[in-house]
Amino acid sequence: MNYPHWQLAFPGGLLIGVVAILHVFVSHFAVGGGFFLVTTESKARRENDASLLAYCKRHSKFFALLTLVFGAISGVGIWFTIGLVSPEATSMLIHAFVWAWAMEWVFFFVEIAAAIIYAKTWETMDASSHMIIGWIYFVAAWMSLFIINGILTFMLTPGRWATTQNFWDGMFNPTFWPSLVARSAVCFLLAGIFGYVTLPRLGDAAREKVARWSALWTVGGAVVLPIGLYWYLAKLPLFSHLYLNGSLIGVTHAVRGGLGFTALAVLLAVVFGLAKPRWINTPVVVVMVVCGLGSIGAGEYLREFLRKPWVVNSVVYANDVRAAEVESWQQKGIARTANFLTTDNTASLEYGRNVFQLQCGSCHAATGYRGMKSRVDGWDAAFAADILQHIHVLRGTMPPFAGDETDRKALGKYLASLNDEWHFTITGANRLEIGKKVFDARCGHCHTVNGNFRPLRGTFENATGPQVQDVFPALGSMSSNMPDFNAPADQAEALGFYIAHEANLPLAHPRAPEAPPTGVGHSQLQRPLNPREEVR
Amino acid sequence: MQTLPIPHVDPMPLPGPVWLFVALLLVVFTLHVAAMNSALGGGLWALWNYLRGRHSNHPYSRRLANELSQMLPVFLAFTVTLGVAALLFVQVLFGNFLYTSSILIGSFWLLVIPLVMVAYYGYYYFSYTAEKGKGIAGCVLSVSVLVLLVIAFIFVNNMTLMVRPDRWLAMYRAHANGWDLNLGDYQLVPRYLHIVNGSVAVFSAILAHLGMRKMKSDEGYGRWLVQRAALVFAGSTGLQFVFGMWLLMAIPRQIAMSLLRDPLAGSVFGLALITVIAGLLLILLGSLSEKPSALVNAGFGCVLATLFLMVCLRYLLRLAYLKPYAHLDALAMRPQWGVIALFLVLFVGGLATVGYMLWLVARGRKASAAS
Repeated sequence: MNYPHWQLAFPGGLLIGVVAILHVFVSHFAVGGGFFLVTTESKARRENDASLLAYCKRHSKFFALLTLVFGAISGVGIWFTIGLVSPEATSMLIHAFVWAWAMEWVFFFVEIAAAIIYAKTWETMDASSHMIIGWIYFVAAWMSLFIINGILTFMLTPGRWATTQNFWDGMFNPTFWPSLVARSAVCFLLAGIFGYVTLPRLGDAAREKVARWSALWTVGGAVVLPIGLYWYLAKLPLFSHLYLNGSLIGVTHAVRGGLGFTALAVLLAVVFGLAKPRWINTPVVVVMVVCGLGSIGAGEYLREFLRKPWVVNSVVYANDVRAAEVESWQQKGIARTANFLTTDNTASLEYGRNVFQLQCGSCHAATGYRGMKSRVDGWDAAFAADILQHIHVLRGTMPPFAGDETDRKALGKYLASLNDEWHFTITGANRLEIGKKVFDARCGHCHTVNGNFRPLRGTFENATGPQVQDVFPALGSMSSNMPDFNAPADQAEALGFYIAHEANLPLAHPRAPEAPPTGVGHSQLQRPLNPREEVR
Repeated sequence: MQTLPIPHVDPMPLPGPVWLFVALLLVVFTLHVAAMNSALGGGLWALWNYLRGRHSNHPYSRRLANELSQMLPVFLAFTVTLGVAALLFVQVLFGNFLYTSSILIGSFWLLVIPLVMVAYYGYYYFSYTAEKGKGIAGCVLSVSVLVLLVIAFIFVNNMTLMVRPDRWLAMYRAHANGWDLNLGDYQLVPRYLHIVNGSVAVFSAILAHLGMRKMKSDEGYGRWLVQRAALVFAGSTGLQFVFGMWLLMAIPRQIAMSLLRDPLAGSVFGLALITVIAGLLLILLGSLSEKPSALVNAGFGCVLATLFLMVCLRYLLRLAYLKPYAHLDALAMRPQWGVIALFLVLFVGGLATVGYMLWLVARGRKASAAS
């Protein structure tokens, strides 16, 4: 709120994600591919294989065009994008790690110079000098990864930096080494996949040799990758672990996708690279490259998700609000703390939209990807304003609302305006269905009836609909985290019916009733209560 | 004083002394501008000579276009690489101004990334096809140059906007989606013309120097290059005075006066005038004779000195604009000396490594030419 919020029609985080995934895909290839090139050149020269050497020349041209242009410029693109979407977090990271970036820049500079020279001097440089350039390239590229890996892992696991603010504590944080192993493995895996892109034509003597050689890289990377990932998972903070328990659908899809894409890429490498290199063709290579991209996409999505609600753990939230400033903003209000608003009228819908952009716009939009329209369907302005107080204990991974009551009301009004007000004609036939809709809108963000997450079965088992309904007026006073219940009477009746119906269904695997939810749990790394922690 | 919506500085202390960041910023930005001038000015030179060499019987123009075609992707690579370092250090010192202005023109600002890719791939395409002189090589080069001119315009918009907090809120209220530019700023047009024309001038001086080297292997071509480059350099430097004066007049009077009255800024400005006039005279005198003399190289040195001085002046102008809002001396500091030392060691090591690689290239070329 210190900075203006770049108001897009989609979440700013999505933009960072797209740019980052494309960059990471190519930049990891840029590291592994450098090693691949120089070792392949060495192999070709050792075996005196002119055909393999010709492949190296062609591959180096492709390598330079992809990594020097798309790889390097998309890296700058990340700089631009994070500065636009998360200026507060970018500024914080710059202040903590500007010298790390400066060192990384030195390696980047050497890397670019070496890549240009390597690709251009096949004819004019002797073999050993040319391979020296190749090795310089690889060392510089891997050192670049080494440093950036420190900053990226710091964002999730600051470790001792949180107390010492020491540069080295931040760089060599708990997930530094496991992440470095995993990323290095990915570099080799991708180097193998991209090795097929410039595969010699049918009939060329080097075709089978390159196919087998590339497959070894992919398989080798795939063997090391699980070691790094397992180690990485072991070092994750507790709250990140809890996201992996299967209750967040996005995380589950990403895990499955990542495993699936990687497994398919490795399978194709084994079948077409090692077993039947003669069968390999363009569609197979395209599928392998797409699998590589899918694998990187899933991995990066997961890495980002496991850090929620933070962008820098314990320092800056995903919506670019500094943890240290939340309380002050809750007291003073956004109208008095934000530098850039498109209106001063706090009673207007436009003000509510501004609050939405500032507080939610990094991860959400009104519609589309992570759109709020469907998420808040059925909310009225008062309910929305009330629930915003408890946003950080909802079922997702939300940061606390950093605004005062006026801001909550304005945002509540805006959120309610995204949908038409609900008006139902409730009959015996649709009561259960409407009851479920009301439950999803008003209770489902914090509760399930029979699920793992704050189940209500223990409270309402053996109760009738009217008995459940009798509890509603007292909800606001039951716990500090419960909003007042203010739904219209017909919706309340349908809701009571639904909860009673669900709570009395026979369970497939009966278990002891759980205690009623209290909404109180422990915090992790000074992070506000997150309900995921209660699941465990 | 501060009633304008200026984001507060980062609560974390600076991890190094301000003077070090300023020094690094000025050095890497000068190198970035030299590379950028080569990429843009070189593109314009290549385009003109490619078209001239293609449609008329001008072998030297064709040869120059071919030679430049191999250099342009390298120039652009180092424009970006050095620009990253400049962006890094400017963020440390002026992050709260730069992030804000970038967000206000966010959509155009981000457009720079795909545009650079287009220009870059265009330069690579030209490098592969220029020699044949057929097909769409000229069109592709034109697009690349045009795109670079657009990028320069977006950059000038951002750099002028970051020192104008008085314009920020109105711009945000008009276009919070970032589809906005700093078009209402009087210094925008002269500053843009100054930087674009400056690119032609600086690269012409570089070409004059290059021509001197070429004379060793091909005197006719080298002389042609020196004389032509000197002519363009003289013309564009003359224009540069006009655009410079326009820029000075477009800057609010009190800022321009405070800049010129400041002893340091005044000295830098005076020195820059001396070096550019010296550079102009030396390059012209050196190139006019039948056999261009070493004066051309001395003039080239003066142009490089001018470039550095103009970068310093640009920095002092930014300080003059931000005087009421930015107080670099008051920033909290906690220097990470050990890390700074490591960076400096790596920096020197990096330069040495690049030097070693260039030596290998030169040695290889010599051996290759001998065989």
